[in-house]
Amino acid sequence: MSSTATTERPSNVSEALARGRLGVPSVIFFVLSAAAPLTVVAGVVTTGYGVIGVLGIPLAFLVVAAVLAVFSVGYVAMARRMANAGAFYAYVARGLGRPAGVGTAWVALIAYNALQIGLYGTIGAAAAPVLDRLFGITPQWWIVALVAWALVGMLGLLRVDINGMVLAALLCAEIAIIVLFDLGQLGNPAGGDVSFAAFAPENFFVPGLGAVLVLAILGFVGFEAAVVFSEESKDPKRTVPLATYLSVAIIAVVYALSSWSMTVAVGPDRIVEEAGTQSIELIFNLAGSHLGDTVLTIGQALFLTSVLAAMISFHNTTARYTFALGRERVLPAAFGRTSPVTGAPQAASLAQSVLGLLVIILYAVNGWDPVLQLFFWLGTSGGFGVLLMIATTAVAIIAYFARNGEQETLWRRLIAPGVAAVALVAIIVLAVQNFADLLGVESDSPLRWVIPAAYPVAALLGGLWGLSLRRRRPDTYVRIGLGAESAAVVVAAPSSVTAPAPTAKARR
Amino acid sequence: MLTADEFFLIAHNDTRGRAKLHPAATGLGLAGGLLGELILHGHITVSAGQVGVLDRRPPADALAHTVLDQLVGEAQHQSVRTWLSFLAQTAVTAVGERLSRAGVLRRQESRRLLRTSVTYQPIDLNTVAWPATRLRALLERVEPPSVPDATLLGLVAAAGLTREVLWSAGPRAHHRLSLIIPALPDPLKELVAHTEAAVGAAVLRGAP
Repeated sequence: MSSTATTERPSNVSEALARGRLGVPSVIFFVLSAAAPLTVVAGVVTTGYGVIGVLGIPLAFLVVAAVLAVFSVGYVAMARRMANAGAFYAYVARGLGRPAGVGTAWVALIAYNALQIGLYGTIGAAAAPVLDRLFGITPQWWIVALVAWALVGMLGLLRVDINGMVLAALLCAEIAIIVLFDLGQLGNPAGGDVSFAAFAPENFFVPGLGAVLVLAILGFVGFEAAVVFSEESKDPKRTVPLATYLSVAIIAVVYALSSWSMTVAVGPDRIVEEAGTQSIELIFNLAGSHLGDTVLTIGQALFLTSVLAAMISFHNTTARYTFALGRERVLPAAFGRTSPVTGAPQAASLAQSVLGLLVIILYAVNGWDPVLQLFFWLGTSGGFGVLLMIATTAVAIIAYFARNGEQETLWRRLIAPGVAAVALVAIIVLAVQNFADLLGVESDSPLRWVIPAAYPVAALLGGLWGLSLRRRRPDTYVRIGLGAESAAVVVAAPSSVTAPAPTAKARR
Repeated sequence: MLTADEFFLIAHNDTRGRAKLHPAATGLGLAGGLLGELILHGHITVSAGQVGVLDRRPPADALAHTVLDQLVGEAQHQSVRTWLSFLAQTAVTAVGERLSRAGVLRRQESRRLLRTSVTYQPIDLNTVAWPATRLRALLERVEPPSVPDATLLGLVAAAGLTREVLWSAGPRAHHRLSLIIPALPDPLKELVAHTEAAVGAAVLRGAP
């Protein structure tokens, strides 16, 4: 009867599709469980103090959080207009052209594989105390790594994503134990008083700053994933941005607090030396003396599950990346196929597993150190790759909105991504200068150039591959950056599946 | 046999009616089949990602009638992807019931772990295995298949079932399949492409 009756008519379709939509907490849980906080706090931060030898890690987490929060402003705004929104290379393909997108995709494959495979280096150390307690055995690290590898590979093929409730429970337990550890450390300050030296700017702006910033970026990897849930979220305009900002904020607070409390308990003057000798054990040794054996045991068990969860999560991320590129035909189409019964991206998952196996064997045969040379080197190298991708994406966002950003505010389309891009490029410059510090090698070691140079070389080769696709396979070329949605490009303008904005439709 | 019915039988080609295809792809493939039936009978069309109703007269089949009523009744939703997602939620039950009414399958409820699950058991194994066999034979022939058969082949490929159907076929059959889908009439070609995109997106999302 009233005029509103026709416009607000209940819709079965909308209601049915709205059921099971994700709210902010679900998305945050997903993002944080991939970030595996205990792996970062117990593994990355302790090794980072020891290897880099810079006290300013807590401040680095806060600085990087601020940069990523500013970056996210443009990122979430552009994500709403994207198919394949979870992948940085998709943004680069849209903003800076498809060849640049392929180059970024190559970088992404290296970076995510490095992050996943690096974790095999720490699983031995993570499992050692648990296995010792349970069975009284201390196997070689690579035996544990191979068992974990088989588990990850099998779960990947069966597409057993760990149940969301289990992940959420593990995450809550991890954060609870981290906070408990922190309280124990803050309650037992070295020398009797709590020192804030780790937050002092003079301990931050030192040689090695770039290395610490890359380490901090590594802790935030995964924050970009919230945008994947645009379509599944209750209100894409609100849920996804809020979940992204909150994830960054939560990660920043937890990591800054934990890395600072470590310096308080050990003493700011001795943290580098102690972390260097005790490595991953440091945080557990502290917990054992402050909080007793029970808390220690729980912490060690949770560290093991945290590393395992991170491995599975990064394996699936990498496999899906490869799958998306296979769907686009940028990689061979076989990578874009799934196992019918499970829906697992079979070939992509297998490829990631094979690469992991080769690296484990390489390290085991050569007797290289698993924690420093596998976990920390590959982890920070992967983190550096992600940093390069975020910076390129920031530039791509500016370029994209310069062409299509009429409805966005100046802050979202230019100022925020511009500030983020400048800050990220500054971090990259510092990181390249400090790469020897980041790896803990001599400044004339060839590794300090080989690793940072691998990414531009990969990007260049990817770009050339993209250009050759334009010439030889134009039908593949138009699919670049669209991921699974590329299947629909043969028949429809991409705007119909990506941009709900009416102007986009009118333009086509 | 109708497109979605044959898709159902191919996706559950098993002596005990168990699924050969993961649930997300099964639902989307069946949803594509239901929309495909309406396109084949001239009731709707698909263009530029939108569903348009051409003929509101009720189709002979009761399920097709229901789907068409939903399309007409909720004209504010036109995106193919929306309709694929919506129909996918109930497609297994809807098509399973239709095949039960037709006497091809027998609905069976079983209680396991305090949960009632419904399966659709084959009555005659030959009937159930026929669609897959028929498609395989079609691809061995030189002459192109009919449009309904080509649509079914397209949906089977989009859902990722090609290798299950063509397990014994030679490279020539795979090559023919790669020619058949681009030759479909535009609305059906688009439907198949959107089904493939939706299946890929479901894989990328991981477990819901």
